[in-house]
Amino acid sequence: MIEEIRAKAADLLRSGEVKCFIGYERASDGLTARPFFAYSADEADRLIFDGTCVHNLARYLPDMRGKRVGILAKPCDSRSINVLIREGQVEREEVYIVGVVCDGVYRTTWGKPSRELQPRCLYCSKRTPVVYDYLVGQPPPAPESQHPASISEVEALERKPAAERWEFWRSHFARCIRCNACRQICPACYCPQCFSDQLDPLWTGIRIGLPQNWVWNVGRALHLAGRCIDCEECQRACPMGIPLAILNRKLASRVKELFGFEAGMDPRAPFPFATFEKEEEIL
Amino acid sequence: MSDREPRVVGFLCNWCSYAGADLAGTSRMQYPPNIRIIRVPCSGRVDPLLVIKAFERGADGVLVSGCHPGDCHYTQGNYYARRRLAILRDLLEFLGIERDRFRIEWVSAAEGQRFAQIVADFVKKLKELGPRR
Repeated sequence: MIEEIRAKAADLLRSGEVKCFIGYERASDGLTARPFFAYSADEADRLIFDGTCVHNLARYLPDMRGKRVGILAKPCDSRSINVLIREGQVEREEVYIVGVVCDGVYRTTWGKPSRELQPRCLYCSKRTPVVYDYLVGQPPPAPESQHPASISEVEALERKPAAERWEFWRSHFARCIRCNACRQICPACYCPQCFSDQLDPLWTGIRIGLPQNWVWNVGRALHLAGRCIDCEECQRACPMGIPLAILNRKLASRVKELFGFEAGMDPRAPFPFATFEKEEEIL
Repeated sequence: MSDREPRVVGFLCNWCSYAGADLAGTSRMQYPPNIRIIRVPCSGRVDPLLVIKAFERGADGVLVSGCHPGDCHYTQGNYYARRRLAILRDLLEFLGIERDRFRIEWVSAAEGQRFAQIVADFVKKLKELGPRR
């Protein structure tokens, strides 16, 4: 698998089909992976792919506009690419997508290997990328879902009374330090000016306190409604361990229930909040 | 604190609901003074962040009101609003803000009576719920 990826990347770079190939290389701890940008065929030998390759590389695509780039895409990354294509942030012709069949990635942190799957992989329904130019690995036979989660954290929280839900989120948001790591790592957060950086109107407020953090976290989640593909990078990047993915997953499931829309599956499907049906019982 | 009057922020569209509220006023209908009305050009103007901000600043309840579907002055603003506010309401509920604290109502310019009734019901409900945590 790794050999195939390296050979394909080297081919692409050698032929000039792409200027840069975005993939993973082994990090300096020798255990985890880090994003890697190969600019020549020789460098392609450093590429790897295994369960430690957790990052969503689609994050880098909007910065690469105007350049032909190759990218290694897991199924979740491929959905992100679709979101970016639909929103006009990435030109389909400018990206060469090398899709990989994915068995899930691990909860590996710096220096600490693990064979435990990332939580997102437990909810994931795709093992084959939804968009690719070249596929590495054998697509599994249907059905694709591999580890159906028995009871989700979303449902567990929904069953609690409102007061407990409030307390749950209050305790988490109170710890937020507003480092914006969730935003910086999110492939769907590319706004030149984020609402939380605006001073007029001052949506979030300057202070780092519960009310301000509440607005930031709720606003962030809401702006990702129907756009989040559940790559859970925000939660992984959060230094305070705030379970942001629960919020994202809740919104994604509601968008699916109400509007039958799943982000990143089809780049031509109309965005649910930019369209409407005259007769619909949604309130 | 429990006897504190609930504070309600009402986002009313200029063409229907605001005129409806105006009719309630000019017809001298009584409704609770707990509501602070903010006039917006259209219910489609109500960015969910405005509602979030209202709750952050201590509102006990938020009412968003616009023309009935099909009657929008801008023909389709309230259809977009309906989708956005539907998802916002689910999110707020999930965050632990009771569903009854956020109301979406369609009120036409002729429904002064109905507007007064909606506000009265809303405030009554909020008093039952008590102040927000």
